[in-house]
Amino acid sequence: MTRVSINPGKVEWSGENPGIYLKESPSSDYTTLALFFRIVLSPFGRGHGALVLSAPQQASGWPESVNFLMTDNQTLMRWIIDNWVAKFPAFRDRPGLDTLTWLDIEAVSRRPSDLKSSYRETVRGSGVEVEFVWRDLGKPLPIEVTPENSPTGAHDMYAVFLEAASASVLVNGSPLPGHVATRQFFGRTMSTAFLALSETWVTPPPMGN
Amino acid sequence: MPLSIPITPGTVDWTGENPGILLKNADGGFSAMALFFRVSWSPAGSGHLLLLYGSPQSRFGNEKAPNVLLGDNPDLAEFLKENFIGKLGAFRDAAPFTHLQYKQALSVRSDGDPMGHRYSEIVAGHDLCVELAWEKLEQPIALELVPEQVGTQEHVMFTLLVPARKARIMVNGSALQGSVGSRVQAGLETTTAFLYFAETWIIP
Repeated sequence: MTRVSINPGKVEWSGENPGIYLKESPSSDYTTLALFFRIVLSPFGRGHGALVLSAPQQASGWPESVNFLMTDNQTLMRWIIDNWVAKFPAFRDRPGLDTLTWLDIEAVSRRPSDLKSSYRETVRGSGVEVEFVWRDLGKPLPIEVTPENSPTGAHDMYAVFLEAASASVLVNGSPLPGHVATRQFFGRTMSTAFLALSETWVTPPPMGN
Repeated sequence: MPLSIPITPGTVDWTGENPGILLKNADGGFSAMALFFRVSWSPAGSGHLLLLYGSPQSRFGNEKAPNVLLGDNPDLAEFLKENFIGKLGAFRDAAPFTHLQYKQALSVRSDGDPMGHRYSEIVAGHDLCVELAWEKLEQPIALELVPEQVGTQEHVMFTLLVPARKARIMVNGSALQGSVGSRVQAGLETTTAFLYFAETWIIP
């Protein structure tokens, strides 16, 4: 395939979308699914989101379970959940995604450190503090995928991924259960804890256009 | 459109945001030039940097139109000056390049909406506050450029371009002279005021 310099598709959103998916053992289902969003461009403006499911198979929300979404732009995150997260393989058909509790964000802070030993995003609001911690980061990988390789199956996507050898999600200081595992992604074995920087999603034009 | 190989061959040089405003005189020459960097990953770490040529025809500029690097990571400033800005002919060949002074930024923030009416970046130091403001924003366009199409002539580059048809560079509350002009990028007719988000420079 020859590179086309000006992508003819419709730009949907752009920003950062790092994640941490944890398992109790390599063969078990995920015990914790967490995604952070820093969106700098979208039809619904800019904003942040912290999605945390530590009971993804349970139809419940915070504080009964640690299933919640913190955001400072509800319209934006509703659009992102329905059109992206719900289509990601790890999140498909998870009852917790439908029943999670929506919470407001008061503050977001990033501590990138040296971009190798650790990287932290902290989100506070509604009486909750969530800290995402990635450790032992690898080299940046430039990603470009067509719908065939896209997590949604419908978009072109550009990003820079950095895999983390270990990671934690802390809610009000307590770590959520599970450990970093591996998965098949982008045609290779990759860590389930990752930074996803400079990420842009584009809807290709209809076939034949 | 992306290639069918999910991981692009090559080494990431840096990634982040890199908007700019190049204002022109009536005779077509540059009257003021500014690039802003919000770098999320580089070998020199992350951080922010403003490159301002308030007086592109002068080596040192003046108080009202300074030539300066204003940032919060000196190592990143050095990395970008040597490995990136120094490869862009319009900046490298201008009078201020070899005399640029680095000043510490105390605050950096963005405001507005890049798909709305106005977007701005505000960088402030001890005695200098610079605001870059873009208006009359056009729809975003995803670009994938090869070395022959980029200023450095060395990189594959992914970026998200939002052209602006109006822009201002404010120094301590006063606007620098000049108007937004036109340019061509990869065959695309565009302007000299631009937002670039999710920009990644890759050494093939």
